[in-house]
Amino acid sequence: MSLSRRDFFKIGGATAAGVATGARGLDLAPVEAAATSLKIKEAQVFRSVCPYCAVGCGQLIYARDGKIIDIEGDPDTPHTLGRLCPKGAATIQLSNNPLRPIKPLYRAPGSDHWEEKPLEWMYEQVARRYYEAREKHFIEKERGKDGAEITVNRLEAIASLGSACADNEECYLLSKLNRTFGIVYHEHQARV
Amino acid sequence: MARTLAMFTDTSLCIGCRACQVACKQWNELGQEVPEWTGTYQNHAHFTDKTFRLVRFIEEPKPQGQMAWLLMSDVCKHCADAGCLNACPTGAIERTAFGTVNINQDVCNGCRYCVSACPFGVVTFNHDTGTAHKCSFCNDRIHNGLGPACAKACPTESIQFGFRDDLVAKATKRVAALQAMGFKEAQLYGADSQGFLGGLNAFFLLLAKPATYNLPDNPQVPQRNVVRDSVFSLGSALLVGLGAIFAFRRRGEGKESDHA
Repeated sequence: MSLSRRDFFKIGGATAAGVATGARGLDLAPVEAAATSLKIKEAQVFRSVCPYCAVGCGQLIYARDGKIIDIEGDPDTPHTLGRLCPKGAATIQLSNNPLRPIKPLYRAPGSDHWEEKPLEWMYEQVARRYYEAREKHFIEKERGKDGAEITVNRLEAIASLGSACADNEECYLLSKLNRTFGIVYHEHQARV
Repeated sequence: MARTLAMFTDTSLCIGCRACQVACKQWNELGQEVPEWTGTYQNHAHFTDKTFRLVRFIEEPKPQGQMAWLLMSDVCKHCADAGCLNACPTGAIERTAFGTVNINQDVCNGCRYCVSACPFGVVTFNHDTGTAHKCSFCNDRIHNGLGPACAKACPTESIQFGFRDDLVAKATKRVAALQAMGFKEAQLYGADSQGFLGGLNAFFLLLAKPATYNLPDNPQVPQRNVVRDSVFSLGSALLVGLGAIFAFRRRGEGKESDHA
């Protein structure tokens, strides 16, 4: 590239002038802020409740392009003011977690490995085993202390362990279902 | 320049729940590490390139024979006189407008001078990216008006985030209150901007001597040795040079005597 002395002075002078004025009059703060863009800035926000324990801390779920990108405490929740416990702070792992199994796995009695099964097959198995266990072990009548026979309609062969992820309505349905079967051991995961 | 932002960690309030640690990992997408058994509840043993927040569980024997559990959520201190920043040859480590120290990952060339220059062992090297990593006070969050993820998650407000002068005033009151309650050794670590390293932008309220928490009593930047050691080097170079001149001075004489 050929550069005459005149060109050199022209370009060099312009650059020097640009540097001298630019550095003085420019506020770098907005540039810096743009450079450190927030990943949740363009995200959709959903208000939700932590799925784990009974405290029910409010959470803000940030999603972008149909994917959850961040979950943190909701500062508007009166009893937590946006704080979360370590388990609640890791709620995002419920959705974004490569280690989490996302297909139903079945281990046959006595087997040493898990195998993938369709969900429909699982439902059928659960229903059938519920039914069979109930048919086999249902206690309809029992003798009381005085020897008289009383109707108990009890099923002691099945225990139900509820989930803290279940909401109020789901818990109601689960209770109804279990009591209908006569299940006595009706527990909740948060109390175990 | 904006007012300096700081983090005040009141260890007397810490319950060791590690919500800060998890929130930090979650926001910064740091990923998991294989846990290491250290003999205490503490996990991990030290800062890594994937652990910027670390709750230290210190078991301290008391005179009555019981154990005291000292919990401290440790983090990068963002020193006013930062060893890592002084050591960085590429300018990747920068002081932001808020007074925090941040590593620009695009500029870092992975020389690891900062790793050895940090008096607290905070800066760590990531072998996947080939750059140094440390806590940035959630640089993206504080530049957009949000506090750091750890301070937001802390359920007991042991970690407080705000303007440094406000927090120092608050911390001073808290120390006085604790001492009145009988915590005789309650003290602030790094709150004094006239003290070591020009004051820490993440300062702590400790319930025992700093050494109990494995913190140096008087941390210094390694750069303080540069002038002294340079003088020593020059001195030894001079000595070696003089010695060499002295040793070779008589060489010519020997040759002459051989010829004679």
